[in-house]
Amino acid sequence: MSAVNAAPITATDSLSQALKANIIPNQEYLLQGSVLDSAVEVLLHRLRGLCDNVDAGPETFDDQEVCFSLRDPNQQAAPLMLRVRKALDARDMPYQLRYIGQPDLGDKNRPTVVRSSLDIACSGMLIEFLNELGCRIEFEYSVKGYMFRKGRMKITVAKVFKIPQSSMPPEPISQSYLVELSVLAPQGQDAIGEDMRAFADQLRPLVQLDKIDYKRLGHMAVT
Amino acid sequence: MANSVNISIEAPIENQIQEITYDGQEIYQAPLSMSENLARLAQKIDFSKTDDEFCNIKKEGESSSESKSEDDKDPGYQSSLWPWDSVRNKLRNALTEVCVLADVLNIAKEKRYMVLDPVQPEPVESRQMVQVYGRKKALAAAAAVLLAGVERLRASETMRMTRNMPDFHIDLLRLRQNWRLKKVSNTIIGDLSYRTAGSKFNQTGVFEVTKAPEEQIAQAMSLNTSGPAPSALRVTVPPELQGVAFISVLCQKEQEDVVTATLSSSAINCPGTLPGDGAELHWQQKLEAAQNVLFCKELFARLAAEAVQLDASIPHMVVGNQIMATVLPGIQLLIGLCHNNGQNNSNTNVDGVKPEGTAGKSDHDHVLEHSLHQLLRAVHHSNTHHPFPHPATGPLGPSKRRCLAGPMAADRYELLDMSKEQSLLEQIIQQAQHFFMRRRSEYVLDTIAKEVKDPLIVSHWNALNSPTQSCVKINIMAHGYDAVCRTSLVVHVGEKTLKCICRDGKVRHLSYELQELRDLIYCQIYQHQMTAVQAVGRCMGWQLLASSSHLGSGPVEPLGNASSCLLASPNGDRMIAIRCEPSVGIQVFIAQSPRKDFFSSELVQDKKWENLGGAFKEIKLDKMEGKNFLNKMELLMACLSSPS
Amino acid sequence: MGVTVLQQFHVPENKTGTYVIELLTKRILALGATQQGQFLVDCESYLSHPQMGTTKTVHILHNSEQPASVFSILESGTKNIHVIADGLFDLLMMKLSQHYTSKKQTKIESKGPRFELGDFCVKLGSVTMNQNFKGVLIEVEYRPCVMANAVWGLLREFLQGLLGPSVPVQPPQHLLSRMNEIYTPIDTIYQYLEHFSAYRKGLRSA
Repeated sequence: MSAVNAAPITATDSLSQALKANIIPNQEYLLQGSVLDSAVEVLLHRLRGLCDNVDAGPETFDDQEVCFSLRDPNQQAAPLMLRVRKALDARDMPYQLRYIGQPDLGDKNRPTVVRSSLDIACSGMLIEFLNELGCRIEFEYSVKGYMFRKGRMKITVAKVFKIPQSSMPPEPISQSYLVELSVLAPQGQDAIGEDMRAFADQLRPLVQLDKIDYKRLGHMAVT
Repeated sequence: MANSVNISIEAPIENQIQEITYDGQEIYQAPLSMSENLARLAQKIDFSKTDDEFCNIKKEGESSSESKSEDDKDPGYQSSLWPWDSVRNKLRNALTEVCVLADVLNIAKEKRYMVLDPVQPEPVESRQMVQVYGRKKALAAAAAVLLAGVERLRASETMRMTRNMPDFHIDLLRLRQNWRLKKVSNTIIGDLSYRTAGSKFNQTGVFEVTKAPEEQIAQAMSLNTSGPAPSALRVTVPPELQGVAFISVLCQKEQEDVVTATLSSSAINCPGTLPGDGAELHWQQKLEAAQNVLFCKELFARLAAEAVQLDASIPHMVVGNQIMATVLPGIQLLIGLCHNNGQNNSNTNVDGVKPEGTAGKSDHDHVLEHSLHQLLRAVHHSNTHHPFPHPATGPLGPSKRRCLAGPMAADRYELLDMSKEQSLLEQIIQQAQHFFMRRRSEYVLDTIAKEVKDPLIVSHWNALNSPTQSCVKINIMAHGYDAVCRTSLVVHVGEKTLKCICRDGKVRHLSYELQELRDLIYCQIYQHQMTAVQAVGRCMGWQLLASSSHLGSGPVEPLGNASSCLLASPNGDRMIAIRCEPSVGIQVFIAQSPRKDFFSSELVQDKKWENLGGAFKEIKLDKMEGKNFLNKMELLMACLSSPS
Repeated sequence: MGVTVLQQFHVPENKTGTYVIELLTKRILALGATQQGQFLVDCESYLSHPQMGTTKTVHILHNSEQPASVFSILESGTKNIHVIADGLFDLLMMKLSQHYTSKKQTKIESKGPRFELGDFCVKLGSVTMNQNFKGVLIEVEYRPCVMANAVWGLLREFLQGLLGPSVPVQPPQHLLSRMNEIYTPIDTIYQYLEHFSAYRKGLRSA
């Protein structure tokens, strides 16, 4: 009874305890690649062969994402990006608010991109909340495709669509599918990166999963 | 991680392979000792190789000096150390050559005695025919090796064909289609465990595949010519997985002496070996049996661990191969692991005879055994099938309920509920409890239906039910009057309780003591009779003057209360009173007005008082005509309504 | 989850908060309640950076009754927008520290024993801001009902029995507009925020 009647610890205390124990999965290990529409069937077949429990067929998903940015008041740092995702095919699931930090590519020896990531399930008027908070909508898109899992790894093969203005069918952004291999883990579990690299090698040459440097991509587009 | 791929890391073969014979056998060299190894390395030095690089020369110089010093150290062994002898000879030759070279260089440098002129290199004489012959010879040798191999294979194949032996490789292919195999050095081993299906049991299920000796195949073939051809494969499973196993589930009444209970029940009838002798069993059956043994072992290990961990009010007991749990007071569930690995045949036979007499009354429960298997399979399934997140960026792992808990502000009871996981043992005990509750309720209802002929009691069991809940609908009605009145109630049979929903909408929760159900049904029967007789009266045009379902008068009833009603005939001159006591039965009284036995007395003189109605007289119901109570009442009413 | 009413209890002159809590504990135990652990509701408020225009406040509240959730209410001008999120929302607020800074000195919480009495759940909370005692808040929940309109009378009577005649006739401000709607946990949070804001502004003294 004494244990039951003990004073509850505050939420901030339990959170700092969890932070200290390093059990919060706030790091995302990520590899990305793309595959042409014509080749996606082959890739899906390969994934069905490699991944866990695909006896019932791959899991599909259909999400809509809105990306917000919150400008730094001192105009010094880059704006903070917040993403809100909603599953269109599972309406009863909550909104997913996501903070993604700057990707750390590391040197050649690091197998994957590592970026800090916070996934927060939210309910209520999240969009309005973010607007009032001072966030501005940067862009939005919908993404539709398949999910696989292999142990802790999650593999998504998905197509990105523009949000249609009217009742038109959504227009795909490109003629290819985005392939992502990711793991959410607490800090310091770098061994998973090697597993991911090994798995990515199994998908070659159907798709080349790699560390993508968006800054460099942006640079290339300008020059 | 349940899903990671098992990678076995093996040390390389320490010994070098000296020769591989055609049948694939490897002949190893004995390992070298340290000095032998040094000698071998020293021998490898190619002193004749001319290399311009200084460092190489230096290295050679170093190694030679080293070897020299070794030579100097133990010259006594020189004669026996032939390798060092060759090194020394070579070094000596080299020294001589170097000395000669130094002399030549000195002479050439002085230029007094000798002048060096560049010489045109002589074109290499290419003797093509020699080369052709050489190559031809080499090819012929290679071809001979291949041909010899082919010949060998063909010979063995024809031998196989003529003797009608099965093909090893075809069998291996078939095996590979159903089982996980891998080749480790020159053995083939397989894995029959349920690891890939989500099991976390730590016992391995490794088996070895070998080629069956030909004599055995021939023998087997001669023995049964009609049956399927024997396999060229032989699988060897570890001894702890051999034989047959099953989980026995027994439910039995508690015996006074627990020790005798364990003794008699520990001798559960083990089955013999699988049909046919172990050796000639087909590998598929053999592997399936071994897999089943492993599964049963996992199941039992898990149940035993849970039995120790759970703190039940009456603690579960784990004795040897047996778990004992109390299901309901006086009823025990015995779960045992029966494993007959075929080695102590005589022993099990002795055991097998004994229980026939002693434990004959408690039968193995196939349904519960099946449920246990199902439960463990469900655990395996849930170990590997985690839900996917929606939206897709969410974390893998948490269940949908847990995902919703935060944003939907689930309170702590819901969260506690989520983290709770029922153990297999708890679930099987619940199923056993339900089984007993159902059987007892069935028994109670059937006996009541047998005892009580009037009214009829009809119970309908729902065909579809869950392992821990079922439902029965009970109709109480009289033959021929089911349209006039019927009482129905529904009983939900749970694990330890019954829930009765009566006609009036009242819900009653009953315990596992089935006397309660019995009493309830009896009360319902008498209540039914009262309402039915009123309904019949209404049909006959009689008037209900009063009714009470809980009479305060009369002796105290052991269950429920007496009820009564009073009916008046259509013209009001006759009355029927019915009193119903569950312990006595139904009594019917009639009265009429004007009363026939009215005599004016001193107190009541006026004649008009005879209309008040007389005393009630009891009717002997059992002497009346009529099929049942309602029929009798109908006849009675009809009789009393007629003007007489 | 039933309907909850939050009620301030006036601490008499020269009496301490612990005295009041003990007094009320005696009363409720005399009614036949059993203590079922402790409870805690805390609130931390974040102010927007002055360069971001009009000042906005984000209140982050936790309730031990819903341990997996973080309630955040954004107060901007006249509007209040709330979001209920899982525990990681606190980490996000750390990421937003450039934009929203915490007013540590106004961190306020109400904690104390929690009682169950039949269908009622009663929590006696002593409010502290920065370790300073501020007052006593009584939370009463009637669990079988989810419509405030249907149960306000009952709750008021219960509160009167417990606290004396000082209980107002009107339901709390926040509930007034939501009398005919299904009660949710965020409604409890709004009531706490109302009281906490009043304590912060110093309108009430201990």
